[in-house]
Amino acid sequence: MRMQLLHLYWNEFRKRRKKTSLITFAIAWGALSLLLLMSFGRGLSNAGSVSFKGLGSTIIMVSRGQTSKPYQGLPRARRINIHMEDLELLKRQIPGIALISPEANNSHSISYRNKESNRSINGVYPCFAEMRNQIPEAGGRFINDLDQENARRVAFIGWSVARELFGDTNPVGKEIRIEQTPFTVIGVMKKKQQSSTYQGPDMETVYIPFSTFCQIDFQRFLDRIHIRPADPKDALFMENQVRRVLGRKYRFADDDPNAVNFWNTIRDYETGAKIFKGIEIFLSIIGALTLLIGAVGVTNLMYAIVKERTREIGIKMALGARRRHIIMQFFLETLYIFSKGTLWGTLIAFNIVSLVNLVPVGYEDFGIKTYLLRPIFSFDILIVFLVVLCVLVFVSGIFPALRASRQNPIEALRYE
Amino acid sequence: MIEFRNISKVYKMGEVEFVALKGVFISVQKGDFISIMGPSGSGKSTLMNIIGCLDTPSEGSYYLDGENVSGLTFDQLSTIRNRKVGFVFQNFNLLPYASAYENIELPMLFNGKKNVERKARVNELLEMVGLTPWAKHRPTEMSGGQQQRVAIARALAMDPPIILADEPTGNLDSRSGHEIMEIFSQLWENGRTILMVTHDPAIAAFSKSTIRLLDGTVQANGTAH
Repeated sequence: MRMQLLHLYWNEFRKRRKKTSLITFAIAWGALSLLLLMSFGRGLSNAGSVSFKGLGSTIIMVSRGQTSKPYQGLPRARRINIHMEDLELLKRQIPGIALISPEANNSHSISYRNKESNRSINGVYPCFAEMRNQIPEAGGRFINDLDQENARRVAFIGWSVARELFGDTNPVGKEIRIEQTPFTVIGVMKKKQQSSTYQGPDMETVYIPFSTFCQIDFQRFLDRIHIRPADPKDALFMENQVRRVLGRKYRFADDDPNAVNFWNTIRDYETGAKIFKGIEIFLSIIGALTLLIGAVGVTNLMYAIVKERTREIGIKMALGARRRHIIMQFFLETLYIFSKGTLWGTLIAFNIVSLVNLVPVGYEDFGIKTYLLRPIFSFDILIVFLVVLCVLVFVSGIFPALRASRQNPIEALRYE
Repeated sequence: MIEFRNISKVYKMGEVEFVALKGVFISVQKGDFISIMGPSGSGKSTLMNIIGCLDTPSEGSYYLDGENVSGLTFDQLSTIRNRKVGFVFQNFNLLPYASAYENIELPMLFNGKKNVERKARVNELLEMVGLTPWAKHRPTEMSGGQQQRVAIARALAMDPPIILADEPTGNLDSRSGHEIMEIFSQLWENGRTILMVTHDPAIAAFSKSTIRLLDGTVQANGTAH
């Protein structure tokens, strides 16, 4: 295509550009809607998955239960408790366990100087932190193997506990008392999003070595066993294995769902992720439909423009224009309208996303804010957007252009 | 150069058929200057459109430069219109949003001639029709006579052997009309073949022979002057 021809086409378009301003606005609006809905949808999805991982990702939590059906002559409604020795049993009998930790907890008073409060004290293994995504703030650490081995009196505290007892001072190295026993604070948990809990959020909890816990608060049963399978895909299989092994020991049916309780975050996470992805896709489709309305408007306008310029098309044909010269002219006009509209739409969308992200959202806000105020404008969203756009440009541009090129030259020349 | 063998053209308008041309035989030699005359509806325009490859005959065969044109595709016909034929219309048919220069340049753009070549040709043609100072002006800023001269320059852009003029003076006053006919005479003297539709015997007098049409058939074919 010659530059001079493009120049001529541009002049012919420019003289009538006013007619296209409304439709350019419609395209900008459509592009803006699509991009915003995709960005906010992604933000929602992301906040959902971050919060899910707050409790712990890819872990199965096993806790005591009650049989719901008779088994081998034993009645139903028997309480099934889990014990420390079950940990070894499970490790021995089920291959593919990557991490396993007991958890025992109780509410105790904790104090620092003259401040006192009642908090959940949890005895756990060092690998607990990894399973529950608990990361120490700089300068601190979680419980380690030596702490566990020697039953050291050390504590890892949630950030909410730290603020309550210590205010702005750094708690690491300070001595707190749990009941009357002194403990050294070895770390403070870094802030994290958490959407589900069983005994209050991690930020309000104090963690000490499991061995130490047994010394200050002897309990016959475990509250929970945390298991992480080596392969997250084995989540359901692992759950059934645990039920089977414990069932043999405590004598309950393999298919008794309530004998021991499972909280399978892998399965929850997958379900949750699917729901959020579904919402994201749904929002994107609504956005795409908005842009589609704009595209239909462009097609409509292009048909009108083709009709209005019938005579010019006839003149060009008489002078030797081929079909592609005519098609190109009208297709380029469609492309121009779309480009201008989407450029504006994209700029505005990008700015809105950036501005909304400036709104402060605290980690304590587990509410609506984290879901709605953290839109994400990512590269793959842009790619999806461009693909949708290309399809729409092609579909809405090609038909008016083809009609223009298929006119009969004589009738076109006679058109008034 | 142009040969019609038993050409017929039938237009269908719904149920009604309208016969525009009926078994026309004509033969035009290189260097002829022919006026086509006849009352309205006698098929003059249809004849011109078929010669100019803007329309195709319903029956019969049309040979242009020895090549059978019937059955060519749209793009092939476009190439013929571009290279072999120059059109001059009664209502000028200039592009309203293009300058005189750009209007003259247009046929060369569809053909992909080189930049330098195009520039030289447009300037040469502007000079020939005496409109060099008007190169940058739009059609709406020019008189009818000037517009028709731009149209003639445009028809000549690709240096076609045949000029087809459909009532070229129909929208002009007699003085401008006369000027236009002077240009046509000059073109004929330089060896071009010219076919011209006209009502006006004074204009027809510039041509060397006449084809008379009536109800789609050729009534007389020869040198009437």
